[in-house]
Amino acid sequence: MTPINISLLVFMIGLYGVIAKNNMIKKVMGLAIINASVVLFFVAIGYRHDGMAPILENQTYNSIDTVLVNPVPQALMLTAIVVSISLTALALALVVKIYAKYKTLDVQKLYRE
Amino acid sequence: MDNSKIIKTIAQKLFPLILLFGFYLTLHGHLSPGGGFQGGVVIATAIILLALSHGIDETENRFKEKHLNNIEKLAILAFIFLGMLGIFNNYPFLKDIFPLGQRGFLASAGMMIPLNLVISIKVAAGITGIFYILVKYRGEI
Amino acid sequence: MKSYYYITLIIVLSVVAIFSINPEYGKLRNLGHINYYLENGIQDTGAVNLVASIYLNYRTYDTLMETIVLFMSLMGVSIFLGKKGK
Repeated sequence: MTPINISLLVFMIGLYGVIAKNNMIKKVMGLAIINASVVLFFVAIGYRHDGMAPILENQTYNSIDTVLVNPVPQALMLTAIVVSISLTALALALVVKIYAKYKTLDVQKLYRE
Repeated sequence: MDNSKIIKTIAQKLFPLILLFGFYLTLHGHLSPGGGFQGGVVIATAIILLALSHGIDETENRFKEKHLNNIEKLAILAFIFLGMLGIFNNYPFLKDIFPLGQRGFLASAGMMIPLNLVISIKVAAGITGIFYILVKYRGEI
Repeated sequence: MKSYYYITLIIVLSVVAIFSINPEYGKLRNLGHINYYLENGIQDTGAVNLVASIYLNYRTYDTLMETIVLFMSLMGVSIFLGKKGK
């Protein structure tokens, strides 16, 4: 059960939220959970056995003795987290606008309009 | 909404501590995990805590929306100005021109501290602005 | 579609996700080009945090565009839910 399996499980939970719920706010929250699972997957890929975090307190870097995990996917996922925030905010603004016009949050009732 | 006296008092006492923690995360971005984005979100959380416990109208009187929007745009322009400092000295855009210093000290790492401060101010103002617009909507189509 | 169709689909996919094991997870190998960031990171930037030195010194351009993405999200929310006129 490596972290890659756990990231796939969290993706499945988010996917259940998107396809099986009828409330629109729950669907948008499922999208946010899927974003979080992708961030976990990318950070888990860069793991090396018995590695430390890439922050060198008082050590010097010896390319054979010190084993550091890969710092590049962690730096790229900062951008991915900000994209996830912006996407959730815009989707929720759309949901608020739809509720103001049709007075319902149920997707099955909106199909018949 | 009229909350109880306990919640209002506790939120008022906690606000400077959360703000201090956000500034700590921002300033020590080159020595420990943290940086601009993380510190900015913590500062926005402090203002949102005040807005949830005291009501949105009173909080808007202290942190006006017009000032927050202006601060955000000025922070982006300050980022671009820090990049142009390199062009004025015959270097490429966004080159590090401040002195590097010793490793492990607070005053080190060149242009990282000004960049972290600018990013944290921008993120805090942006997320608080989004919160204000989402809360003050009153059902117009 | 009834709700138990969705639940069986999610359970089948979760079982597939649990039993798919990557035998090469975390094996020590040569990182290739990333060794330049690990060896020369402290010397070029002076920061002890190597992740911060990547996204604030070697790739500052991406961080600049990232702040513009946040600004565009605030613009989008303000267009949807702003006040009508003056």
